[in-house]
Amino acid sequence: MGILEDKANARLFYRYFSRVYDTINPYIWDDRMRNQALEWFDADRDDRVLDVGAGTGFATEGLLNHVDEVYALDQSRGQFEQAFTKFGKRGKVRFHMGDAERLPFKDDSFDKLWSSGSIEYWPNPVAALREFRRVVKPGGTVLVVGPDYPKLRVFQTLADAIMLFYDAEEAEEMFTEAGFEETRHFIQQRHRGAPRAITTVATVPEEAESSDTDAGSAVESGSAEPVDR
Amino acid sequence: MKESLLDIVCCPLDKHDLDLEVTEREAGEDGEITAGTLTCTDCGETYPIEDGIPNLLPPDMRE
Repeated sequence: MGILEDKANARLFYRYFSRVYDTINPYIWDDRMRNQALEWFDADRDDRVLDVGAGTGFATEGLLNHVDEVYALDQSRGQFEQAFTKFGKRGKVRFHMGDAERLPFKDDSFDKLWSSGSIEYWPNPVAALREFRRVVKPGGTVLVVGPDYPKLRVFQTLADAIMLFYDAEEAEEMFTEAGFEETRHFIQQRHRGAPRAITTVATVPEEAESSDTDAGSAVESGSAEPVDR
Repeated sequence: MKESLLDIVCCPLDKHDLDLEVTEREAGEDGEITAGTLTCTDCGETYPIEDGIPNLLPPDMRE
């Protein structure tokens, strides 16, 4: 987190970034990785799903293979322009402009929430994760894809300067601080040496924070092994 | 936007309900609202609906 802590800078950055985003993004997180994450997400057709930081619509497109309708939210209209050409302005994708850290939705509005390639730009990720917990029904799934912290020092310096990167341990810390109790973290990588993505699948607890009730049964793991912490 | 969105949408600042004022609506039953304003029933902050898309960004994040 560096220059993007300033939200005005973040918006300016997005406006230029959105033009090349769909070109760059598949190299880091491709169709195959997205489809794997969609399996973990495990949405039903009639689930009400919110896609936070939907942007140009790469993940939204995959979500539509599983659900009938997607609620898309982004802070940047520029990012949406490409999504409009894919889905139209008023169809299966419902567009909303809004801030991930201050969501314009009531408590328990959604069955599931998806956010990929967005967390690295949020000034306060924990605030956003708390909002995710609030708007998703108890027992619902929150899935967040972000960039795993790079291993090479030269990339670490770059990472620290421009955006948030985190490893499984840090992901666990963020989700716990935001009030989640059941989480699984998966590392996804296109090929050896490629930038790694970290995908967290979390379940919204049955009761709001400081609950001392049993969080529920253990979750079965996906086809990839959850990472050790 | 569809009028039914009011069931789940709220003020991003204080999470209170929003009142809808329609300026323009597509023809037909349950026609999409293409222009209008959403106003917080508590703090009074207004959020525009432009080209059918509600802009629910907090005021400090708008262009």
